[in-house]
Amino acid sequence: MIKEWLFTTDHKRVGILYLVGSLAAFAVAGIVALLIRWELTGIGETIGGVGPDDYNFWLYFHGAAMILAFLIPGLTGFLANYLVPLMIGAHDVAFPRVNAFSVWLFWFAIVIALLSFVIPDPPDIMWTGYPPYSSEFSPGNTAFYVFTVHLIGFSSILGAVNFLCTVIYMRAPGMKWNQLNFFVWTILGAFVIQLIFVPVLASSVTLLLTDKYFGTAFFVPANGGDVLLYQNLFWFYSHPAVYVILLPAVGVMMEIISNMSKNPIFNYKAAVYGGVWGVVVLGSDVWVHHLYTSGLADWIRIGMMVTTLIISIPIGLLIISLVGTLFRGSIKYSTGMLYATSNLFLILVGGLTGIPLAMTSLTLHLAETYFVMAHFHFIMGIMATFAVFAGIYHWFPKMTGRMYSEKLGVIGFVLNFVGVNLTFWPLFYIGFLGMPRRYYDYAMFPEFEPFQVMATVGAIVVAVSMALNFYNWIVSAIFGEKAPENPWGSNSLEWTHCQSPPGPGNFPKLPKVSSKWHPHEYKPQVIEWV
Amino acid sequence: MAQSHVEHHWEYSYYPLILAAGIFFAVPLAFASMFQYENGLMAAIFAGIGVPLIVIGIAGWTAEGISDKQGQGYAVSGIPIFIVSEAMIFLCLFISYWMLRLSAPEWPPEGSPEIGVGLPIIMTFVLVASSFTYHFGEIKMEAEDGSGFIKWLIISMVLGTVFLLMTGYEYNHLLSQGFGWGTNAKSTAFYSITGFHASHVLVGLCIFLTVLIPAFAGNINQTFVKSAGIYWHFVDIVWFFVVSQIYLW
Repeated sequence: MIKEWLFTTDHKRVGILYLVGSLAAFAVAGIVALLIRWELTGIGETIGGVGPDDYNFWLYFHGAAMILAFLIPGLTGFLANYLVPLMIGAHDVAFPRVNAFSVWLFWFAIVIALLSFVIPDPPDIMWTGYPPYSSEFSPGNTAFYVFTVHLIGFSSILGAVNFLCTVIYMRAPGMKWNQLNFFVWTILGAFVIQLIFVPVLASSVTLLLTDKYFGTAFFVPANGGDVLLYQNLFWFYSHPAVYVILLPAVGVMMEIISNMSKNPIFNYKAAVYGGVWGVVVLGSDVWVHHLYTSGLADWIRIGMMVTTLIISIPIGLLIISLVGTLFRGSIKYSTGMLYATSNLFLILVGGLTGIPLAMTSLTLHLAETYFVMAHFHFIMGIMATFAVFAGIYHWFPKMTGRMYSEKLGVIGFVLNFVGVNLTFWPLFYIGFLGMPRRYYDYAMFPEFEPFQVMATVGAIVVAVSMALNFYNWIVSAIFGEKAPENPWGSNSLEWTHCQSPPGPGNFPKLPKVSSKWHPHEYKPQVIEWV
Repeated sequence: MAQSHVEHHWEYSYYPLILAAGIFFAVPLAFASMFQYENGLMAAIFAGIGVPLIVIGIAGWTAEGISDKQGQGYAVSGIPIFIVSEAMIFLCLFISYWMLRLSAPEWPPEGSPEIGVGLPIIMTFVLVASSFTYHFGEIKMEAEDGSGFIKWLIISMVLGTVFLLMTGYEYNHLLSQGFGWGTNAKSTAFYSITGFHASHVLVGLCIFLTVLIPAFAGNINQTFVKSAGIYWHFVDIVWFFVVSQIYLW
């Protein structure tokens, strides 16, 4: 039994291992976020004995763990692993052993990140690791940061190779490209981004490593190096990484919204070829908006301002499809559906606050304030977390064969939604008034203290909701009632053709689909019209 | 694993976890002990745990993969996709090099010795020759001539080793002139790009070794051989960019 889990090469079990690992990282990083909020409640030292160095380490850990160890593995690791082979009607992925290898690389990366709590000189360089601080002045263990990125990056690249091969070669007989689940398309887009851009991040942090430990001169101006080179390389990956998170999140929302409103996806082809692939193509040309205040030339800043604004077009296509799918649907609200639809609001807030930040002129005022911080927490942090939660709730009956408690789920959702809004709206406001990011102390802005307190209260509400969610999952997975075969009435292969939970090999027999079949079609497909 | 029929038991393999654990000990832990905490003993212990695990992991995985006769040969398609990633790493290094070089007030910067082009041209011939010899080996394999395949494979490996020895000779020569990797922007770019390429040659040779050892036992897996070949040709092609950008420009 333990052998079959520890050494498993089955994509479903690998997916569950991804889920457990990423939720563990999420829990620890969430507790760290609570500590950060607590520390910021009052001016000066609020938690006894916590100095700026500890605070710095917390910021590093919260950012690195949430992005690298929760959001990306949660969406592209857990959801992709569990769902993609089922949705396309395959036994497994193309390279099952490579799949197992990548989940363990990810687990060991989490171990490295957690070791930072116990080693002397933990990394204190934020999740961005900008030189020259990280390469010359920081006493911290930059190597651990670099290797966390390496292991997770390598794991992502292997995942990308695996899933691209799987979707290209292992679709069920008869399944055309336009019959793929929307989620599968978004995973393809996300993995193409991972395949192309992760190596750039991996090599830029490697250069950081050689600069710090072997004395090379990439980022050392005195020897002819260039500090901005790192920022360019870093954001060349790390901006597209936002889309690695956004695309599968939208894919999960699309699956759930289409399923729970019993409507085919509105504008399927435009959303796939324009939306998903538009984001993939344009996503590589916007990274300079992270460097508006770094001192780059005007021509590149203005050029990237234009591309940044243009990328709202493919994202707009995705949003139109999401909203259009709800139109005249017979909507039922499960917990997963609540998370998915409330995400429309979060995307709206996060997206609209992104537009002023895309403008070079406004960014000069807003850069490095809480406004930026609240913006990316809305669009990336909360929106993507809600998508992961929606996915867990929606496919919970599939994964465990049992139903979760809908009542607890809804209470958890309401608290969660109220809590995140209570946390981040005050931060938008004080950010706009000039509260700088990353500060341990804000003695120069005593008037912001009430807003910080409000945000901390919001964070506590979120923490309560998280406790409810985790309790619900764990208890329901063991003691929940047996789930019906197809509780949501979906037409997708993972619900119609295999058991819950699926056994080894997924399908009793290989499913074969006709050209009339579509995973998002819910009405009788014969058109009668006189 | 088997894709052609439905499995009715849970598939498992020991080696992915062993290999991942080996990498965990041998790379992050050993490196951080050595260079961050300057504790050579700890580094040696971690490397001592990690390296055997890596060797066991690779050997066991290869044995499983090579004896898997039901494989569909997806690796031949997977390797080119993986190579896209590798190409991006090289592109990133070249872009760093171009940015440093084009923004420098003078190039080469002070303290850079003349780097001869004779040796790199010989190295080019050696590496290209090894690509051809490997291809001859593949032809022999398709003709089911196992010993012919082994002969050409060994020739390719000898050529690859000669290439690495030449790199070592060149490094030794340059280091003796005081041109270390931290000397200036040029040395940084030179050693990182050529060194990263050389590491790929080394990985290629290791892959060849995992093909060669089972081949002596008469166990030749076409998918393995072809995938290794694609990787080797890629390393060969990258070398043209290295020569043209680093040595000839």
